[in-house]
Amino acid sequence: MFAALNKYRQAFLIGLQSNLVYRANFAVRGFFSLFHLVVVFILWGAAYAHAPTIGGFSFGQTLTYFLVMLVMQFFVGAFNEDYQISEDIRNGLINQFLLKPINYFLYRFSIFVAARLVTGVLILLPLLVALPLLKDYLTLPAESWRFALVIPAMVFSALIQFSIAYCFGMLTFWFLDIQGFVILSMAIESLLGGQMFPLDLMPEWIYRTAQCLPFYYQTYFPTAILTGRISDLGQVLQGLGIQLAWVLVLLGINQLLWTRGLRRHTAVGG
Amino acid sequence: MTRYLEIWLASARYSVTRTLMFRFDFFLWALVELFWMAVNLLLISVIYRHTDSVAGWNKYEMLLLVGTSLLVQRFLMGFFWSSLFEMGRNIRSGNFDFFLAQPGNVLFMASTRKLDPDGLMNSFVAMGVVAYAARQLGLQPSVLDISLYAVMILCGLIIHYSMLVITISLAFWLTSAQGIEGSYFTLAEFSRLPREAFKGVASIVFVWFLPVVIVSNAPARTLLRGFDPLWGLGLLAATLVWFSAAVIVFHRGLRRYTSASS
Repeated sequence: MFAALNKYRQAFLIGLQSNLVYRANFAVRGFFSLFHLVVVFILWGAAYAHAPTIGGFSFGQTLTYFLVMLVMQFFVGAFNEDYQISEDIRNGLINQFLLKPINYFLYRFSIFVAARLVTGVLILLPLLVALPLLKDYLTLPAESWRFALVIPAMVFSALIQFSIAYCFGMLTFWFLDIQGFVILSMAIESLLGGQMFPLDLMPEWIYRTAQCLPFYYQTYFPTAILTGRISDLGQVLQGLGIQLAWVLVLLGINQLLWTRGLRRHTAVGG
Repeated sequence: MTRYLEIWLASARYSVTRTLMFRFDFFLWALVELFWMAVNLLLISVIYRHTDSVAGWNKYEMLLLVGTSLLVQRFLMGFFWSSLFEMGRNIRSGNFDFFLAQPGNVLFMASTRKLDPDGLMNSFVAMGVVAYAARQLGLQPSVLDISLYAVMILCGLIIHYSMLVITISLAFWLTSAQGIEGSYFTLAEFSRLPREAFKGVASIVFVWFLPVVIVSNAPARTLLRGFDPLWGLGLLAATLVWFSAAVIVFHRGLRRYTSASS
């Protein structure tokens, strides 16, 4: 058991090191994310000029929503894991995992956790710089259960994000180039994951439908818990249940795609 | 000049043939772009569900603005994106030698190698959005207005192209900075906002310093409120300045090119 854990601990440490090498890249990315916040600030600021509240929330609450969303993306979001996995398959690098007693999913997941630790901390730096400008707008609800329940929601969210990226990576067994699929899914995720706008502003029936889909649980759900867009505890607990169900379903799909894909795999290169 | 046109037509023919070979890719990418456009339009429709005016612009005026911004972006995607994206990769890997060896202007050769018919096809969708918004607003633009709009879209395309060339040229200096191309999309986001929404420092940076607001606002205003020479001249000046800057930055960078892989 400990030997097994040690294997993935090593993978985690390697992931930590290799991601620290690219810290400048992540910092640049974080810096440009601040530009996105500027767009949000200008657009929603102009929209709020004619409406004191939108969907029952003030401008400060909406801005806080987008800020928390950004932090969530850097802490639990999948970045380019799908491409990394795709490259491993294409280059034949996965061959070595087939010969060694190491689980590829867990290996990749360990590296993903390390990467998010690095990017999560890195996004906090530009935000700290911007804090004096933002602090007058930031407002979070005070209930302590929100801070307790957002942790499992973030863990499940990370699992969902990684699993979806892993699924797309697995498509390499069938398709030569997965970039189109990945960018299509990015569009769906940014919409139904609430990155474009808070989902509760959509017509009721679309919002209800979105709640049944895994994308809702990627970034919107933890963000909504923390920023008070989901008002009562019961709804949060119910959401956690659905989120866990999606985690299990996606893990199952991952396993299925892996075993099916390997049957097609010709182990060229490596 | 005609020689360059011939080269460009040859690249275009090659790209179309390539698209016919990879039909599935064509449909997939067309769908991807269509979906991203839909996401942007949805954002507008969601905001206007809750408010009537954003910086004095009503829903269909805003739709016309966003449509215009998407139109310029589609043209950029269709005509230049693939070539320029590869240019960044080639600079980093050392494969850029190939273009240096060609008998022609390096920037021209490198930026016209590949066309994306999917991006060009979606430009019709963007035009449709603009036409729909104009119809909803009851606009009756004259032939002159439409011609001016077209010229302004061309200026916008040149400006976006220049911005992208400058961003990608950074690869000459920062060989390790992968994904820097993505920063273009962040800047393009500002093009979907009306000029009136920018105040104070934001107005100085995004309206006066960076050409991101003028690119979409100038043509959109021409359709909405008629041609304003001030906006026209501003756009023309920005086009000249930014295109010159792109050429200078690119050639400065080229001097640093070592053709070694990093």
